[in-house]
Amino acid sequence: MTDAVRLPAPFARATAEAAAPVYRVPAWVAPALFLLPAFATLGLWIYWPLIEALRLSFYEWNLLPTAAPVYVGLDNYRNLLALAELRTAAWNTVVYTLGLLPLTVALPLLIALMTREAVGRAGAVYRAIIFVPMIIAPVVVAVVWRWLLNPDHGIVNKLLGGLGVPSLRFLQDPDTAIWTIIFITGWKLVGFSTLLFAAAMTNIDQSLVEAARIDGASESQIARRIVVPLVAPTGIFLTVLTVLHGAQWSFVYINVLTQGGPRHATTNLYYLLWEYGFGTFAIGWSTAAGMLLFAAFAVFAAIGLWAMRRTDRHAH
Amino acid sequence: MTHEISRRTALSLGASSLAASAFAPAPSFAQRIAPPSSAPVSITYYNYNLASAGIGSEATKELIAEFTAPQPNIKVEGVPVSSGQILARVQADLVAGRTPDVAQLVFSDLDFVVRNLGVKPMTDIVPPEEWAAHTGGMVPAGLNLGALDGKVYGLAYVFSTPVLFYNATLFKQAGLDPDMPPATWAAVKEAALKLRAATAKNGVYPGVYSEFDWLLQGLFLSNGGRALSEDRRRVTFGESGAVGAIEMLRDLVKSGAHAKLAESESGDAFMSGNLGMILTTSVYQRAFLNAAKDKFELRAAKMPSFGDKPARPTNSGSALFILSKDPVKQRAAWELVKYMTSKRGYTVITSKIGYLPLRLDIVDDPQYLGAWTRENPMVRPNLEQLTRLNQWVAFPGSNYRQIARIQIAAVNEAVFGDGDIAKIMREAQERAQALMPRA
Amino acid sequence: MRIESRAAALRSHTLLTVLSLLSVLPLYWMLVTALRAPNEIFSTTPWPQNPSLDNFAYILGGVPILRMLWNTAIVATLTTIAQLITALLAAYAFARWKNKWSQALFALLTVTWLIPAQVVMVPGYLLVTRFDMLDTLAALVVPHAASAFAIIMLYQALRAFPDELIEAAVIDGAGHLRILRSLIVPNLKPALASLAILLFITSWNDYFWPLLVTRSQDSAVIQIGLQMFMTQEGNQWGPLMAAASVASLPLLALYVVLQKQIVDSFLRSGLK
Repeated sequence: MTDAVRLPAPFARATAEAAAPVYRVPAWVAPALFLLPAFATLGLWIYWPLIEALRLSFYEWNLLPTAAPVYVGLDNYRNLLALAELRTAAWNTVVYTLGLLPLTVALPLLIALMTREAVGRAGAVYRAIIFVPMIIAPVVVAVVWRWLLNPDHGIVNKLLGGLGVPSLRFLQDPDTAIWTIIFITGWKLVGFSTLLFAAAMTNIDQSLVEAARIDGASESQIARRIVVPLVAPTGIFLTVLTVLHGAQWSFVYINVLTQGGPRHATTNLYYLLWEYGFGTFAIGWSTAAGMLLFAAFAVFAAIGLWAMRRTDRHAH
Repeated sequence: MTHEISRRTALSLGASSLAASAFAPAPSFAQRIAPPSSAPVSITYYNYNLASAGIGSEATKELIAEFTAPQPNIKVEGVPVSSGQILARVQADLVAGRTPDVAQLVFSDLDFVVRNLGVKPMTDIVPPEEWAAHTGGMVPAGLNLGALDGKVYGLAYVFSTPVLFYNATLFKQAGLDPDMPPATWAAVKEAALKLRAATAKNGVYPGVYSEFDWLLQGLFLSNGGRALSEDRRRVTFGESGAVGAIEMLRDLVKSGAHAKLAESESGDAFMSGNLGMILTTSVYQRAFLNAAKDKFELRAAKMPSFGDKPARPTNSGSALFILSKDPVKQRAAWELVKYMTSKRGYTVITSKIGYLPLRLDIVDDPQYLGAWTRENPMVRPNLEQLTRLNQWVAFPGSNYRQIARIQIAAVNEAVFGDGDIAKIMREAQERAQALMPRA
Repeated sequence: MRIESRAAALRSHTLLTVLSLLSVLPLYWMLVTALRAPNEIFSTTPWPQNPSLDNFAYILGGVPILRMLWNTAIVATLTTIAQLITALLAAYAFARWKNKWSQALFALLTVTWLIPAQVVMVPGYLLVTRFDMLDTLAALVVPHAASAFAIIMLYQALRAFPDELIEAAVIDGAGHLRILRSLIVPNLKPALASLAILLFITSWNDYFWPLLVTRSQDSAVIQIGLQMFMTQEGNQWGPLMAAASVASLPLLALYVVLQKQIVDSFLRSGLK
């Protein structure tokens, strides 16, 4: 980051003449041309589908060119909001979010604090290893855990069996399924979060810590009074990230591992809307579900931004 | 590649500016298929058995190969899609202008398929004499499975009936007579409780909780209820017959006779010898036989009844639909459909995959299933149910899948929860009714 | 003091060792299962007793897995290059020209972050069919040719770039493209490299979109190949773990080589 900027030699020699415009081009043309590739792509593949989704959410249509879309007003939204499982799904969404926070914020902070002491060269090795889950595809993570947690032949239950614990049906038992999914979601992220905190801690001015030590502060006092406040922005960032994306991160695992079951124990808003909207290509259901997702997401985002702004104000 | 795309893009854009106008509407008059010909033709065959690794896929590939070998002018491209996704896939491909020529579609989608995918009744496109010649030996109740409003749109293909498989070894350990399997739900409960007390294994698992509600509908019917009224206008799973059936299930759960398992675990539990009885599709017979070998004695009984009321088994499975609009392809498609549902076809399907033959005349014919039936007497209860098969009814309208979901969600809640069953089902019925077609 | 710090170091090592084991043991078990002979799938020995490639042979025989790996590599590479180019151009524009229009456009850009993929999926599918791109690799690349995330990341990197240098180049008569090519790209190499790594991994691991627009096995990516072994019952554990290994090994190999840069790029994006 701090590398000196290298100035290529030709610039020094370039003559003004070489690039002198022969005719005047309006000032907006150049920026427009630079923005065009990105915004044409985003416009075609994101904004236009979004508008189209909004429009189609008021229609009933099977997508087939032989049938005309039928305007149904707010029926699609009404149908979705009338679903009996909606309340369970909303509550589960809260559980997912709150359940993930210990794994993405609290535990990583604790580990980073407790391993602040120099671990020497081994540090790089640890760093490399605990980051590995982050680069593995969620689908792979899902099938691997399905195998590990299999009630009959999974290694986890075999190890537990060796300790005399009866086989646990992690993903099949309504009482444990959601916590299992939360664990798997967190498993992928805990290393990343820990490294993020560790990186923030290495940026702390060591003279502050030394000074406190000389003043006779204990390690836990140093941690509480100096380190934690200084890495608070990282903590807030991870919290916002979890609140914004937590329920979505779990989506792949729900889709591959439980399909929302057993008995809706693991369904959340994203999955429920997906389930009703995409089971068939009932465009009205799926786009209305999509718009509701968007709305839910915007609410989360607004809360997140508000929280970030508040801490920013505190930090300055 | 880029060139290829831009050319095709230009073509499609040139042809139409709107997706909706990209396809010519199907001709409204009934168009017959072309006469047989030896001109080369290539058709696609969307099939869900192909999507499962193992016997289902192997047997289907075998039949396709047998079909094309003597007539090399016909090329069949098998497209594997799982049963849960095959309709969405067919729909998505129709949207993309890639009309499947033959598709194996699940009976619960029948109404949607007929009203939305532009499928013509088979009897309209196939010459009457050919139709009569081919369907002559078929079980009438079976032929009716792919019919809507009295017309056959899809030819019933692979299907099965509910079978109560039981572990005779566990029965003996519990002092139950394996020659007298329970015939009523009351007897099932009693046997399950005894079995559980004596062996500490799970009692019974009635496999009615799947998204495909065929078995559930059979359970409702057996108790005088229905999921959908006969005129197909009212959702009726909240009425007394259905509610009574669910009360029976709740009682099984509360008494401990009902195994505490997820649907996905029940088959494995039975195969590992930890479950006394399971009511499920006859297709599992082969897997169960393999698993039971040298471990326990597997037997099969008919679907239990509610007291004196006769049990009314429904069917699971799928029919073959011809979606192609091109008369030449339709001819090839019809030839393929004929082969898949021929005596030879059902011999392979029944003996290798485990579905029921739609033709009863092959069962004891030594040229076809004769030897196999003798070796597998367990198929008999299933065959006996075949003649009094009840149609697995498809919910109507464009929200039919959502209606089925509401139904199964409510059943789960009512059976495994503590709430008032009648109230849960009635409320679900009202919500589902609101999704029914208005007209 | 010394004893205390030694105890602390021990505590650190213990904790980090536990965390490390938890991170890699599941993946190790995936590999071990994949390497077991089919009749030893349920064995619990820490390593395969009779290592066998049968499961790999099985998946190679079942689906064109090498072809899928190749497709995935192509798609991920092309997507990454396209996203870098569109992002570089757009980020340059945002950094160079600032007015109310560019601010509005930038806000519009950040909104894309809030749009869950599920919302635009079906209309996106309709577009793919309209352009007749179904079942082509183009359907996996073209819709993802621009990434709001990439633009924002590069914009932040460009903001830190000294304005005087660009001004000097302009005075020297260099055109915008020339400035980008000869001045900005060479100096933003670390940022571009770490962004490229992130984009590549994201594209490699994409699952739902390929599931929707892929038809034939020959144009499928590896995540779809994996899906073909995920039967509802999930009983084919050996082949499934072999397929999962094949899907992960290229990225893991890349990770072994570029470990430091990859971790840095993730952390940098996380630290914004």
